[in-house]
Amino acid sequence: MRSRQLAATAAAAAVTLLTVSACAGGGSSSSSTTTTAPAASPSANAGAITGPVTISFDEVYDSGTLKTAMQSAVKNFEAANPKITVSLTTYADYGALLTAETAAVAAGKAPTIGQAYESWAQKFATSKVIVPIASLPGASSTMSTALSSFYTGVQSDLKLPDGQVWMWPFDKSLQVLFYNATLLKAAGITSPPTTWTQFGTDLKSASKNGVVGITIDPGNATEGATSGEEWLEELAAANGTQVYTSNGTPQFTNPAVESALQYLVNLKKEGALATGTNYPGETALGAKKGLVDLSSSAGYYYEQQSVGGKFPLTTTLLPAGGSGAPDEMAGANLVVFAAASSQQQAAAWKFLQYLSGPVEQAAWSAATGYYPVTSQALTEPSMATYLKQNPWVSSTIAGLNSAIVDPPYAWVTQCGIDLSTAMSAALSGTSVSSALNSAQSACSSAQSNG
Amino acid sequence: MKRGRRGLRPAGNRDFRRTKKGWLYSAPAILIFSAFIIGPTIYTFYVSLWNWNVLNPSLSVFRGLGNYKELFKATDPSFVQSLENSLYFTGAMIVAGTAISLCLALLLQRGGGLMGASRLAIYLPNATPLIATSIIWSWIYNPQFGVANWVLHSLHLPTSPWVEGQATAMPAVIMFSLWHELGFLTIIFLGGLTVINDEYGEAARVDGAGPWQEFWRITWPQLRPVTYFVIIITTITSLQSFTQFYQLSGGGPNNATTTLSYLIFEESQVLQNTGYAAAVAIVLFLITVFITLVRRRTTPAIR
Repeated sequence: MRSRQLAATAAAAAVTLLTVSACAGGGSSSSSTTTTAPAASPSANAGAITGPVTISFDEVYDSGTLKTAMQSAVKNFEAANPKITVSLTTYADYGALLTAETAAVAAGKAPTIGQAYESWAQKFATSKVIVPIASLPGASSTMSTALSSFYTGVQSDLKLPDGQVWMWPFDKSLQVLFYNATLLKAAGITSPPTTWTQFGTDLKSASKNGVVGITIDPGNATEGATSGEEWLEELAAANGTQVYTSNGTPQFTNPAVESALQYLVNLKKEGALATGTNYPGETALGAKKGLVDLSSSAGYYYEQQSVGGKFPLTTTLLPAGGSGAPDEMAGANLVVFAAASSQQQAAAWKFLQYLSGPVEQAAWSAATGYYPVTSQALTEPSMATYLKQNPWVSSTIAGLNSAIVDPPYAWVTQCGIDLSTAMSAALSGTSVSSALNSAQSACSSAQSNG
Repeated sequence: MKRGRRGLRPAGNRDFRRTKKGWLYSAPAILIFSAFIIGPTIYTFYVSLWNWNVLNPSLSVFRGLGNYKELFKATDPSFVQSLENSLYFTGAMIVAGTAISLCLALLLQRGGGLMGASRLAIYLPNATPLIATSIIWSWIYNPQFGVANWVLHSLHLPTSPWVEGQATAMPAVIMFSLWHELGFLTIIFLGGLTVINDEYGEAARVDGAGPWQEFWRITWPQLRPVTYFVIIITTITSLQSFTQFYQLSGGGPNNATTTLSYLIFEESQVLQNTGYAAAVAIVLFLITVFITLVRRRTTPAIR
């Protein structure tokens, strides 16, 4: 085992050194801990913490209220569980997190818990470096009760194609629209649009005097999934077809997807849509150069910060298309790595339960703008003031029951980049069908390679 | 005569590099080079023969030359497109970088207080961290709020999408890279200008040669070794450029700025196609080796 780890680590080091590695995150590597998921073994003592244990948690809550809220959650958990210490390692973004988790696993130093998107979890599971949640000590007897308390969309998001629950939820969000209420009024729009057709018309009418209706980030390999690419997925679903089938097969050349992309291209041609990077819609909105920003509900505090009180924000649900108003659920899940000791896995299960419980979910949501993953949190005292100040949360949170999510297959990461590339190509002048054909071909190739 | 020759090169030192002491003195460098360059290079080639599972190498599948064959298949972004982008960037950096830095060096060689300040100003960008200045330039290039479009708009010129446009993204990255690298190249040319023989130029001027003739027939030929060096160093660094593509354009739009280095990053770090990324890295390595060998064969010695 040791020699394999050394060899693998050397391999990654080799690639990193030979190539230009100015990339974010630590080194890369290879090697690993090939631990098969232990079978759940219920017993009277299952899950008991017998001595001091430290668990590590790799996450991306590196700034603002996210950072302080996570530190507060850990502090409260440790106070309630004095034998357990939680060591946080924070990364700037999900790209850096994936690199770091991969490197850590390869070096045989995996964290106990890490954040992971569905496609990452699939790769981790097939590589046998994470364990099913039910196999955690103490989880077999308590998991189903906790699981059933989550919104149904959240529940199904935790499973991989083998039907097992490999992930656990913590923070979830849906996409919402943040309007500049003053510009909305100035454009003669009495209320936010409820259909995508009307949305397009309103954007065009408001795009004048240096204002561009909406600015989006189509995304790229550096950034990964962005709200711009998610918008395309939502538009396609609103047209009646999701961009992937449930088994992860791309449907990028479906007329519904083509129509969705054409809608965006038309907005760009009319001067109602611009592109940028690094949350460009938020910047434009704050600078009073954008009518609306499409973003995660978890971006609420960042939007407020950008606006800085210059005008009132109006937050609404996504408009509807011919097939309703599907919204894409965002937010990574939590996974437990196989290299953790039995005591660490038992402690990890306690921590997961704490993070997803009503009390912490209420506190986390009120502090960060994420939706709670369980409706039980809505009645917590710490949630009352937040809901009163942000009535849009109550009216939109039920979307977690029906939200669309990308299917949990490893190739979906590449397909997301392919779709982003198709978007940027079409918005830069390539024909919609040509751009989507290229993306379909590349994604299909990734799917066949597994 | 015999004493004189012995005085120039003592016989005892002739084969010093092959003596035990020679090997001993070289050992630290050889060990470091082996551990961090030679060993990893060999291992990268090994990895390139596998469908490598970086998380669990025991699940890796041997592919032989499969990853190399994959290079020429139509993937998105394709290896061929990335190679073309790398050559586009490298060619532009060589031509524009060499020409502009040579012109700047000729302008700055005269000295004086103002010239000294100008030299410092031109070199300063090269002393700044590439990632930091890339972030700043991403805001300069912002189509809606950036300084670049503000200037164009103020001059009543058409604005540009800069790194957001398929046709303009690579030129925009080249402009930034030139801004960052010109100081270094100019200093090299300035160094070359200080050691060339002035007597030829004086003689040419006495014979009635104009400034252009003097430069073309006297000065530049003497700078040929330095020019070769500038071209080679620019070629190698341009082929390996990554940071500005990562930060400024993210390889886009529509893969217009996906170079070989960026492709290696995307395949290895984002998509975890480690074996394929290793194959691309090996090809990039071979291209660089080829250029270095050509340099060794063709570059005249710097006197």
